[in-house]
Amino acid sequence: MSQETLMTFAGYGKFFLTLFIFIMFYGYAYSIYKRQRTGERDFEKYSNLVLNDSLDSAPLEPRYKKQNKND
Amino acid sequence: MFHWLEQRPFFFAVMLFLTVAFAGFVEAIPDFAKASQPVVGKKPFTVLQLAGKQVYIKDSCNACHSQLIRPFKAETDRYGMYSLSGEYAYDRPFVWGSKRTGPDLHRVGNYRTTEWHENHMMDPAAVVPGSIMPKYPHMFTNLADIATAYANANTQKAVFGVPYDKKGMPKLGTWKEAKAQALADAKKIASEMKNQQVKDMVAAGKIPEIVALIAYLNSLK
Amino acid sequence: MQSNAQLEYDYSVVKLFTFTTILFGIIGMTIGVILAFQLAFPELSNLAGEYGTFSRLRPLHTNGVAFGFTLSGIFATWYYVGQRTLKMSLKESKFLMRVAKLHFWLYFITILLAVVTLISGYTTSKEYAELEWPLDLLVVVWWVLWGVAMFGMIGMRRERAIYVSIWYYMSSFLAIAMLYIFNNMEVPTFFWSGDAPSSLMHSISMYAGTNDALVQWWYGHNAVAFVFTAPIIGMIYYYLPKESGQPVFSYKLSVLAFWGLMFVYLWAGGHHLLYSTVPDWMQTMGSTMSVVLILPSWGSAINMLLTMKGEWQQLQTSPLIKFMILASTFYMLSTIEGPIQAIKSVNAIAHFTDWIPGHVHDGVLGWVGFMVIAGLYHMAPRIFKRELYSKKLMDTQFWLQTTGIVLYFTSMWIAGITQGMMWRAYDDYGSLLYSFIDTVEVLHPYYTLRGIGGLFYLIGFFMFAFNMYKTATSGRVLEREPEYASPMAS
Repeated sequence: MSQETLMTFAGYGKFFLTLFIFIMFYGYAYSIYKRQRTGERDFEKYSNLVLNDSLDSAPLEPRYKKQNKND
Repeated sequence: MFHWLEQRPFFFAVMLFLTVAFAGFVEAIPDFAKASQPVVGKKPFTVLQLAGKQVYIKDSCNACHSQLIRPFKAETDRYGMYSLSGEYAYDRPFVWGSKRTGPDLHRVGNYRTTEWHENHMMDPAAVVPGSIMPKYPHMFTNLADIATAYANANTQKAVFGVPYDKKGMPKLGTWKEAKAQALADAKKIASEMKNQQVKDMVAAGKIPEIVALIAYLNSLK
Repeated sequence: MQSNAQLEYDYSVVKLFTFTTILFGIIGMTIGVILAFQLAFPELSNLAGEYGTFSRLRPLHTNGVAFGFTLSGIFATWYYVGQRTLKMSLKESKFLMRVAKLHFWLYFITILLAVVTLISGYTTSKEYAELEWPLDLLVVVWWVLWGVAMFGMIGMRRERAIYVSIWYYMSSFLAIAMLYIFNNMEVPTFFWSGDAPSSLMHSISMYAGTNDALVQWWYGHNAVAFVFTAPIIGMIYYYLPKESGQPVFSYKLSVLAFWGLMFVYLWAGGHHLLYSTVPDWMQTMGSTMSVVLILPSWGSAINMLLTMKGEWQQLQTSPLIKFMILASTFYMLSTIEGPIQAIKSVNAIAHFTDWIPGHVHDGVLGWVGFMVIAGLYHMAPRIFKRELYSKKLMDTQFWLQTTGIVLYFTSMWIAGITQGMMWRAYDDYGSLLYSFIDTVEVLHPYYTLRGIGGLFYLIGFFMFAFNMYKTATSGRVLEREPEYASPMAS
C-alpha cells in the first residue's frame, strides 16, 4: 500500500473517530441534564462533597454499605 | 454508563487517559515517520561544530534566538530563505527557540564572519550599540567538550544511522582521529581570530568554547 | 474501616509541601525579577560571570516556578483536598504515609539538584524539559510515587463518588506522565563514547528537527495544561466553594467542562509551530482547537464566578475570596488571549515577541499564583490550627500583586505588538524600515515597567511568606477547625 492510500485511510479514520467522540460528548451532556430533570439522579448534590468534608461527617454515598441500597 | 465509570477509579483513569492521549495519537500517525528526510546536500555536523552546538545549548542561546525563518517577506528579506523541514534532519535536539529577544540565527553563517562573532561574543554592545545581550568572556577561557561532542556524533551514527564516515560526509573515525580532526578545524578558525590567548590555547592543543561555537555558527547557512 | 471519632486528617505532608511552595516560590520569582531587569539593564547580566547571564538563569526561572513553586502547591493541595473529599486519612495507612513522605523528599532533592545542574549549564535545551537524563529518571520515580499515593488514597476512600477536583488531579498525573516520558526520550551519549572521556550527563533527543519540535510543543503546551490549568481548576473547585460556603453553581457544568478540556487541550499544541515546517494540517488543527478551547475553559471559569451568586458581598469582606475571584477572572482573560494569539494571522505578528511571555504571565501570576496562594491561605488555619495572622497584610498583598500583574501584561502587550509590527515594516522603496537593534532599543521602557511589575509581585509574595510564617508561629490558637470562611485577625 502506498503512502498516499495510507494517509487517506488514516484521514477517514481520524475523521470518524473524532465524530464518534463528538457524539459521545454531546450525548453525555444531554443525558446528564435529562437525568437531572426527570429526577433519576441529582448531580448537584455532589457539591456537598466539599461543603461537608470533615472526617466524622457521614459520607454522601457511603462506599461500604450493608443494608441501604438506594441510588 | 458514566455514572458507573465515575465510581471506578481504575476504569475512570483508563478512559481519561484515552481521552487525553487521543490527540497525540492522531497527530503522530502516520506523518511522524516520513518527516525529517534530509534535503539534498545536507551534511551532519562535524565534531567541532557539535561541540559548538553543545556550547550554544549550555548557555541557552536558544532562550533568546530562534533558528526558524518563517515564510514571510519581512523574514526572508531580513534573514534569508525560509527554513525547510529537511534542513533540520540532523538536529538533535532541535533549537528553533520560541522567542526573538535577539535576531534569528538559522542562516547566520551567510552574513557574519569569525571575526565578527569573536568581537561580538566578548562585548556585544561594542559591536552593536544598544545591544542587550550579555557578554560571554568565559567562552574564551572555558574549554569545549570535544570528547562529549565525539560521543554525541558517535551516538547519532550508531543509534540513528546518521551518515558519518560515508562518502562525501564528515569523517568521524576513532576518538583519536576525531580529536585530531577537531583540532585541525579549530586551528583554521583560530587563524582568523585576533585574541592571542585563544591562539595560544589552540596552538597548545586546547580548544576554547568560543572556537567551537564559531565553528557551529559559521555552519548555519 | 469504621469511622472513629478520634481519627483526624493528617497534614504532615501538606505542611512539608507548603514549605517548599513558599521556598521555591521565592527562589523562582526572585530569579524572574532579576531576568526582567537584565533585559532592561543588560549590565546586570554580567555580575556573576557565566553563572549570572540571562541565558543561564532563564531555565532556572521557568523550572523553578513551574516545577518548584506550582508543583509543590499542587502536591500540598492534593494531600489536603484528596484526603478531605475522599474522607480518608493518611493516618489510616502506614504504607501510604511512607510513600507520601518519600514522594516529598525525592521531589525536594530533585528540585535542589535541578537548581545546581541548570546553573552549571547541564540542559537539554527543550523548554520546560531542560533537566538532563539522570534527573529525568528521578522525576519519574517520584511521579510514580505520587500516583501510588493518589490511587492508594482513592482506593481507601469512604465516599463512593469521586469529586471533580480529584478528577483534575488524576488527569494531571496521567497526562504529565505520558507527556514527560515521550518528550524526554533521550539517548545518553556516554554509552557510545568509545574511549573518549565524555560527560555522563549529556544526552541527545530521540527525535530530530521537525519531529523533535512537534513532540516538544505537544509536551510544552500541555505541560501548561496539566500543571498550570487542570490541577489549578481542581483547586478552585474545592477552595472557592469551601471558603465561601456556597455549593458549586452547577456540578453538571463542571463535569462537562472537564471532559471537554481533557479532549480538546492536547490538540492545541500545534499553535506553537504556526508557519514552521510541521505539516500544515497540524498547524490548522492546533489553531482551530485553540479557539474551541475557549468553551471548556470558560465553562469552568464562569461556573466559579456564578458560584458566588448572591454572595458577592464576601468579595468585600474576605481577601481570600478576592484572590480566588481575581484568579478565575485572569483565567478567563488568558484563555481568551491564548486563542486570539493562536489565530494564524495574529500569530504571524505575535510569535517570537514579548506578547507571548506577557500571555504566559497573566496566566501564571494571576491565575496559578493567586490560586496557589489562596489555597495555602485557606489551609493554614486548618493545618496549623491557628488564626491567619493579618487580614490587612493580605489585602495589601492582594492590591500590590494585582498592580504588578497589570503592569506586567500591559507593558508586554505593547512591547510585543510594537516589536511584531516593526519587524515587518517596509519603507516606500520596499526595503525593511528598521534594523533588528531598533526593535530592541524601543522596548527599553516596557522592559523597565515589566521589571517593576514583577518586583511588586515579588514583594507581595514576601508578604505572603511572612504572613504564613507568622500564622504558623504566633497566630491565635483555634479551638476547633473552622467550617467555611478562614478566620483571620485584622
